[in-house]
Amino acid sequence: MPLLEVRDLQVRFSTRGKTVYAVNGISFDLDPGDTLGIVGESGCGKSVSSLAMLGILPKPAGRVHGGQVVFDGEDLLTLPDERLRHIRGNDIAMVFQDPMTSLNPVLTVSRQLTEALRTHLDLGKKEAAAEAASLLDRVGIPDARQRLRDYPHQFSGGMRQRVGITMAIACRPKVLIADEPTTALDVTIQAQILELLRTLVREEGMALILVTHDLGVVAGICERTHVMYAGRFVETAPTGELFANPRHPYTVGLLKSVPRLDAARKQRLDPIGGAPRDQTSEPTACAFAPRCAYASTESWEQLPVLRELDGATGPAAHRVACWNPVPEQDLVAAGIRQAPTGRQTGDQPDEERQA
Amino acid sequence: MLRYVAKRLLLLVPVLIGLSILVFAYVRALPGGPAIALLGERATQESVEAINRELGLDQPIFVQYLRYAGNLIQGDFGSSVLSRRPVVEELLDRFPATVELGFAAILFAVLAGVPLGFIAAKRYQGVLDNASLVASLIGISFPVFFLALIMKYIFAVRLGWLPSIGRLDITRSLEHPTNFYLLDAVIVGDWAAFVDVVKHLLMPAIALGTIPLAIIARITRAATLDVLSEDYVRTARAKGLTTAVIDRRHILKNSLLPVVTVIGLQTGLLLTGAILTETVFAWPGVGTWMLNAINNRDYAVLQGGIVFFAFLVVVVNLLVDVSYAFLNPRIRYQ
Amino acid sequence: MSIAEAEAAQLSVEQPSGLWSDAWRRVRRNPAAWVGAGLLLFFVICAVFAPLLAPYGPQETVGSLAAVPPGPTAEYPFGLDEQGRDVLSRVIYGARLSLLVGLVSVAIGLSLGLVLGAVSGYFGGRVDGVIMRFMDLMLSIPGFLLAIGLVTLLGRGLFQIMFAIGITTVPIFARLLRGSILAQREADYVLAARSVGTPGFRLLTVHILPNSIAPVIVQATLAMATAIIDVAGLSFLGLGPNDPSLPEWGKFLAENAARLQNSAHLVFFPGFAVVFSVLAFNLLGDALREAIDPKLRA
Repeated sequence: MPLLEVRDLQVRFSTRGKTVYAVNGISFDLDPGDTLGIVGESGCGKSVSSLAMLGILPKPAGRVHGGQVVFDGEDLLTLPDERLRHIRGNDIAMVFQDPMTSLNPVLTVSRQLTEALRTHLDLGKKEAAAEAASLLDRVGIPDARQRLRDYPHQFSGGMRQRVGITMAIACRPKVLIADEPTTALDVTIQAQILELLRTLVREEGMALILVTHDLGVVAGICERTHVMYAGRFVETAPTGELFANPRHPYTVGLLKSVPRLDAARKQRLDPIGGAPRDQTSEPTACAFAPRCAYASTESWEQLPVLRELDGATGPAAHRVACWNPVPEQDLVAAGIRQAPTGRQTGDQPDEERQA
Repeated sequence: MLRYVAKRLLLLVPVLIGLSILVFAYVRALPGGPAIALLGERATQESVEAINRELGLDQPIFVQYLRYAGNLIQGDFGSSVLSRRPVVEELLDRFPATVELGFAAILFAVLAGVPLGFIAAKRYQGVLDNASLVASLIGISFPVFFLALIMKYIFAVRLGWLPSIGRLDITRSLEHPTNFYLLDAVIVGDWAAFVDVVKHLLMPAIALGTIPLAIIARITRAATLDVLSEDYVRTARAKGLTTAVIDRRHILKNSLLPVVTVIGLQTGLLLTGAILTETVFAWPGVGTWMLNAINNRDYAVLQGGIVFFAFLVVVVNLLVDVSYAFLNPRIRYQ
Repeated sequence: MSIAEAEAAQLSVEQPSGLWSDAWRRVRRNPAAWVGAGLLLFFVICAVFAPLLAPYGPQETVGSLAAVPPGPTAEYPFGLDEQGRDVLSRVIYGARLSLLVGLVSVAIGLSLGLVLGAVSGYFGGRVDGVIMRFMDLMLSIPGFLLAIGLVTLLGRGLFQIMFAIGITTVPIFARLLRGSILAQREADYVLAARSVGTPGFRLLTVHILPNSIAPVIVQATLAMATAIIDVAGLSFLGLGPNDPSLPEWGKFLAENAARLQNSAHLVFFPGFAVVFSVLAFNLLGDALREAIDPKLRA
């Protein structure tokens, strides 16, 4: 049995009589030690999904419409709030996007670090403080003992995010959800924070769900990546496979819109045209169709579901929810993929670079 | 922190100088000039000339001002025409009554207003929220003296539960080491008198505190609504803290910041409200004292009252700024 | 705003519309605005058509002199006062003075405050420093106390009283406009206008002022409420208009405060007239503020 089993999770927001269909049935499994990426544009429902799993959707607008989130044999969505509270921060913890705003400005770092320890692990004041200091030390904050007495505004952005991560891992959770943990940071700091997450996950044996809009971020950490669009997963595959052999037009679009070191030098960046779907109705067809060059009559009329490609199953499975997966030669034309040997499209220098 | 307080105190100097110039100009502009202003209209020609000489009115204006300012610093506000007592002496008699009343009023306003605003925000757009919004708008629409009269009518005239005038039953004797009657009763250890003082204080304090209560409730509500949508509150939830801890430690502590500022802004309103409240309840404070002074053209007393009120506003705002800095580490560590 | 809410907000497509039409839509949707406007209309009608609406003249004796005047009856719904005058008629006529004081005093304070604020914000530097320090000084004196002081100084004529009350609102308007000008001076559209060589005065009147006017309207509405309370308060302290023929709610109430025990109607009817007229302005001002800036729910 997996550690965390999400089945057909649906989340809706209603304000002033309008309903937004934010998450429309996503499913995935997470085993201990797994690293999972969820990638999509802002507004695709990726953050909402993680808040829903922890039962901290903004109330009263947001509510879970259906599905299951089974953790340790219990469905978190139906658990009484008091029981769920013991799991939050203890078994499943979360790192948030903006370290400037997600730390409380009027409380010392020590206070914010120790409160979870004292709530969940029943530590005394002194033990908790000692533990907090060693945790800060662990995430690479110099002078940890001294800095406990400081307030968040006395830390730099990167250091603040280290504090945010410390808060999340304080109780050694089994699952760590990181929601855009590097988006608000400078590029150089981003790399450090990702490295820290990678180390922590490996050493603590935590399972990681990394939510981001940035394919580059999942590339280095996640074994498996789900691509999300308009509240649904449209493609899911082992990360390497996804980068090498993307089949959903949206994934291809995402890859074409970020610079790649291994792409041909003259390859132009190619943003996805159009705007994300206005999610005020339940999707009944492919949500990407209006922006898709491959859209067919089917795309406009029927909702595609995730289907396995190439017969690979288990951890290696590659699934796509698309009526017209991008053909191989188009991937080659887009510079995402090398032409398979035997065909004469690729030229010599490119092959050298690949090797 | 100490440096911050010192800086604030230093900033007070120009304000106090400005105020003294304003009051100086004001007293000189009052009908009859400063001599009449200080002595009253019934002053004889000789005494007017005497005071003119004494005030050095023949000297250049800035010399006059310096002399006047010097007197103010030494606490010399002149003497009341009516009682012939030094203004400062009367002020010392009177001000504890006003401060006691004002303090009780703001205490009532905070103790009722903060929880009300907080609960309203937690039930945003619920029945209680809307009811409290309407009630607070009606509350701030009541002139304080009218509210005082209504309360007096209901609780003193109709029900007879509470005394309608004064600070203490006239048949009761109480020593007054401080003139803060609550304090006096505690010092003397006279609990019956303490209860009596509280009974006298109840209506004036509630009448005076109602508008600040409404304002504080509205500010607390707005601030709490802001804080509720802050990321750090979501972080606190994600940590699995209990609702009580989140409310108290993470939400209330932040939403109190603007409330503290508003309490400072209420001081002026409270003091002028005190003039009206004291009138209704025959409260022997600075307000009724000043009003008598106006009616009797006792300008030395009026000047003393104005300076006292302005001084109190300035001091309370200083205290508020300091406590704000104390509550908000971002200010404290600047 | 949380991430989830931001996402939700992004998802729902808002119709683009102007600031004013947006605000107007929100005002219309707010029941408080309707109640406020209705109440205000009621008082304006009372004030304008007082001679038609009031059954008797404000000074007209319709009953007999009485130490304990009769309370509300079918004939005199608000009762009579000790001089045998009809309370209802006096309350209706009282609307004239209160609304007039509210309007004129706020107009005085508004125009002085706006001029000072515009000068301060536009010229900046030393001029700004002097004006603003003086405004701070005025704010350190409680408004009602300032009004008391000015009335003592200037006398108790109607205009003097309106002037005194108006003066207390000057710093509020001056600071409001100055702050708004300072904020907008660096705004992109002002920089754009400046870059194409729009002259300074035109910049102020055409580009900056119209964008500062919304909060000023809100503040003016709320200031009228305060002005009505203040004039009633001055009257209550015996510092109101000295013309005995002017029926004024606060004065009426004050003169009869001593009769509270036996003739509460003499206190309650004028008192509630003050409350409801103030409430009208407060409801309106509050609804306008919320419409202009929905985030400011204070």
